[in-house]
Amino acid sequence: MMRTIEVSIVILIFAVAFIAATVFAVLPSPRQISSPNLHQLALTTLQVLDENKALTETVFEDLTDQAWTDLEIALAASLPPNIVYNLTVYDMVQVGDTTTYRKFHSITNSESGLGTDSETSSYLVMSTNVTFTVTPQRISGTLYILNCSDANGWWITGYTGQGLASDLYNMLSPYFNTTVMVQNTTDLGRLLDGTKISDSDHENVANAVVINTFGEAVPIPAGYYTTQGYADGSYAKYAYILGQKVNSYNWTWVSIVGYPFYYVTNTVTFASTHNGWGIYGMRMVSGYGLGCFLRGLDGQPYSYISQSTGDVGVVYFSSDAHTYSNYYGIYPSPYQTATRALPSSIQSTYHTTIVSNMFDAVSNYYGAATFKHTGGTGKGAFTAIGLTRTPDIRVTALALLMYYNPAIYKSEFTLTAGERPTQRLIVLQLSQQGGS
Amino acid sequence: MTGVTIDHLVATTAFIAAILVFIGLFTQTLQAAILYQQNRHVSLKASDLLDNILLSPGYPYNWGETNATLSCFGLQHPGESGYALSSFALMRLTSPFGKPVEYPRDSGEWYNNVSLESSGYLFLPIGDCISYETAARLLGVNGTYGFQISITPIVEVLISEYQSNPLILKIEVNGPGFPLSGAALSYYLYRSYKTGQYASIELSSGTVQADSAGVAYLNFAFDGASETYTILVYARLSGLTGLGHYSHKTFDQGAGVMPFVVDYKTGKIYLAHSWDVQDQGTPVPNYFYNATFFIMTKEFEFQEWPIANSTGNINYGGGGGKYYYGETTLPVAHPGFLLVTYGTGNPNEYGMSIMPWGIGTLAVSVTFGDNPAGNVWTATDLRQVTVDQMAYQAKITCWSLQGYQIWNPRRWW
Repeated sequence: MMRTIEVSIVILIFAVAFIAATVFAVLPSPRQISSPNLHQLALTTLQVLDENKALTETVFEDLTDQAWTDLEIALAASLPPNIVYNLTVYDMVQVGDTTTYRKFHSITNSESGLGTDSETSSYLVMSTNVTFTVTPQRISGTLYILNCSDANGWWITGYTGQGLASDLYNMLSPYFNTTVMVQNTTDLGRLLDGTKISDSDHENVANAVVINTFGEAVPIPAGYYTTQGYADGSYAKYAYILGQKVNSYNWTWVSIVGYPFYYVTNTVTFASTHNGWGIYGMRMVSGYGLGCFLRGLDGQPYSYISQSTGDVGVVYFSSDAHTYSNYYGIYPSPYQTATRALPSSIQSTYHTTIVSNMFDAVSNYYGAATFKHTGGTGKGAFTAIGLTRTPDIRVTALALLMYYNPAIYKSEFTLTAGERPTQRLIVLQLSQQGGS
Repeated sequence: MTGVTIDHLVATTAFIAAILVFIGLFTQTLQAAILYQQNRHVSLKASDLLDNILLSPGYPYNWGETNATLSCFGLQHPGESGYALSSFALMRLTSPFGKPVEYPRDSGEWYNNVSLESSGYLFLPIGDCISYETAARLLGVNGTYGFQISITPIVEVLISEYQSNPLILKIEVNGPGFPLSGAALSYYLYRSYKTGQYASIELSSGTVQADSAGVAYLNFAFDGASETYTILVYARLSGLTGLGHYSHKTFDQGAGVMPFVVDYKTGKIYLAHSWDVQDQGTPVPNYFYNATFFIMTKEFEFQEWPIANSTGNINYGGGGGKYYYGETTLPVAHPGFLLVTYGTGNPNEYGMSIMPWGIGTLAVSVTFGDNPAGNVWTATDLRQVTVDQMAYQAKITCWSLQGYQIWNPRRWW
């Protein structure tokens, strides 16, 4: 009987141990096991609502303003239905080294409170009177960027003409009234004929800027320009026609890298020929392209004449380039390697004047400069970036802006003397309801 | 002696029975605790995985704008911080829902199909899309965790025809919680009209405000039933933004002109005849199309962007494996939408197709990942994100593929 009693005692101990384990080792509720990360949800909700500075503007509005009601609606609409919130805005007051937080306003969709099982995120905003904005002056002409899908590039190693065109668009379009991408050589042909190629009312063929993003190659339209642009066994005459067009339309032609007009490109017309280096869709013109272009720009009769460039090694920013680099906030390296620099002599030979010079001349060669045609009616300009590959489009953008020099209008702080910028802290507290 | 023996037998039997019972009871408690622990781990993994995906642009960082091979997976917009996603990276995700489309028929070339409503199409070559298996491998969860992520607009803008003649359209603006009462609505209605061989589009735009139920009505002075039009409505309230679109066409014998993205890297688009996608019987008409591309500005306005070969004529089935199509190029990395209006040559037979270029401009939803159905335990988490300045919600569903009480197609673990 003793054994049975002992075993009964053991069973009793087991039972007590089990009950104790069950009572004290409480498993968390399913909600605690897996609940949305409310901290991150709160933070991302505040960030989304402030995507266009709408939240910042609202929290500095008067409490009677409709914006507060809109904020309540936006919060309720953006959060899942089982999430309740409390958004509190605090004024930050700095006295000496001490910052105190004073409650400014609070909105909630749970009058009974959020309970203890809630999470918060905070978000600091600054009043709009310390917002700094930059607005560039618009250049009146149209910016055309050659983005021809039927052309290949050369000396733009690692890039495509289309990729560079896209980057140039992002960088320069804020400075121009209208920017038009020339999507293929057919459009380029229409443009050379003086026809608008977009539906924009602001597009103007005259006084435009044309950027060739294909490096040393220039796209050539099939048909008229391929036939008329061919003479002396070369397409150098096409470059001559381009020079004429630049003059007659008063364009600024921009070459972004290397030897300008060294090749012509059309992937359909020249599908079976290559440029001498294995790139099909391209024909070599060599230095005759530049020579003929400058003759066309100057209104001289066509002649199959070459124009040399110079390999001058490292070139350094001119003082103007330093100034404009800071002014426009565009910072390419202040020293570059120029292996296709244009000589000073083209000023006298082709009646041009250097109106903006990006790099100090080396042995009378200019690494990147804009040559304004001054002969005859004085129309047309040529921005030549004679640097070695690979191209840095920031150099192109800066060279162009140096030439046109659009103003940058910067907003000023509206704070009066002694006034401090106002900061407010937004705290969003979220909690789940139901199903605990 | 007999009493002692019985005492021993009873005691031993009771002891063994008690041991067995309590082992069972304690094991149940321990099993529950282990299971809870595993589930907690899955929940944390879901949150980590979501942040990993949303806060990294991946590598190459601009992979969404090229057809480059991925070596690191992430959806963050390159060059931006926080929860701003790349609308082009989202385009390259293989949809688990849309049935792939073969174009041209019987060619063996398949396209990922992100189905849109109301004449909206988004087809990308499957070879250019990122599969779930690739993403799981790059995220380091292949074989250990499964997931599905859905990126959906926070604000839903529903457009329906309320009255046909004169046309009245009903706009409903809702969030996941409540309607967006008082939201400011901007609308852009593009209507087809014939000017020559090719149809053109005429724009009507304006602004209205939703009422307290998030509803607004747009009145137009034409008969909606006899006109072909596409309308986009952009809603905004206190930083929340959303967009909806709706199309109506007078030509209804087939899908008409269907845009296909054939080269993601260069933005090359084919405008296909629907007969070359699905045989609806013959004869079917030629389509004279006019394609227009619009980009969305930072001020949320749609601005036309000139594109190559914007007009053309598409015949169907050339025979002998030959197919006709129009071809154009969209600007890489510039989000917008392609609107194609087409006519058959017969009076008042027009249609419209619309294709997003980057998912944000048409507020397209994207779902990516494996199917969570059948898993015993799934954890979810969500974040608010932006895509092309549009407010979206990113929701992940995650489950474990290893461990105790895990179902896989072969057996229970």
